[in-house]
Amino acid sequence: MSYKVNEQGNISTVFLTGEIDMDIADKAKGVILPLVESGKEVHINLKDVSYMDSSGISVLIESHQKAEEKNTKVIIKEISKSVLKVIMMAKLEQVLNLG
Amino acid sequence: MLITESKDFVVNSESLKDIRSFSRDVFAKRDIPQELKDDLVLAIAEAAQNIVKHAYNGEKTTDKMKVKILFKEKEIEIGFFDTGLPVVPENITHRNLDDIKPGGLGTYFIKEIMDEVVFKKDKKGWVNHLVITKKI
Repeated sequence: MSYKVNEQGNISTVFLTGEIDMDIADKAKGVILPLVESGKEVHINLKDVSYMDSSGISVLIESHQKAEEKNTKVIIKEISKSVLKVIMMAKLEQVLNLG
Repeated sequence: MLITESKDFVVNSESLKDIRSFSRDVFAKRDIPQELKDDLVLAIAEAAQNIVKHAYNGEKTTDKMKVKILFKEKEIEIGFFDTGLPVVPENITHRNLDDIKPGGLGTYFIKEIMDEVVFKKDKKGWVNHLVITKKI
C-alpha cells in the first residue's frame, strides 16, 4: 500500500493505493487515526484500492468511531467497486459516511 | 474430472498477498465469473488470516500452512491445513453485525461467500483442517 495526504483547511484527504489486508491495516491506521485525533475532517479516497479485507474494513470502522468521539467526520470517497462490495457485505453502507 | 492445486505458505501476515496471488492464478485458469473469483479470493484470504491470528495468535513462526484448491464438477472445495493451536469449531463465531466495532468480520465474510464451512479430522499430521466449499 502506498498513500498520499492532501491538506486543505480543516480537511485532510488520504489517498490510499493498492491492497489493504491484515499486513497493511496497521500502516493505514497509522496514517488516518492521527489526523482524526487532531480533530480534522478526514476524507479517505479509495479510488485506487483494488482489494480490501476485514482488516481494512476494521480500519474504516475504527476511524469512523474515533471521528464521532472527536466530533468530526470521516468520509469515504470514490470507493472502488470491489471495496464497495465488501462494505456492503458487512452491511456498513448506512453506518459509514460514503461520499 | 478433478483438478487440484495446492501450495504451502509460511504462517504470517506477509504471506496473505502471496496466498491471494496463488488463488488468483489458480482461478484465472478456470471459466467461472470474475465476481465469484473475487469472492473466493476474499474467503481464502480471510480463512488464511484466521490461521495467522487465531491458530498462531499472530506469533512469529516458521510453520507452514497448506492451501489446497480442488475443482469438482459442481463445486469448488478449498482446504486449509495448519499445525497451530487446535481450533474448537463451536468457538468460531462472528460478531453480531449490529454491534458495530472493528474486528470479527472475517468469519462472517467466509460464511456469506461459501456454501459450507467445516473443520475436518485430519490424519496426516496437521492439527487443523478447514474445508470451505462453493457450489458452481
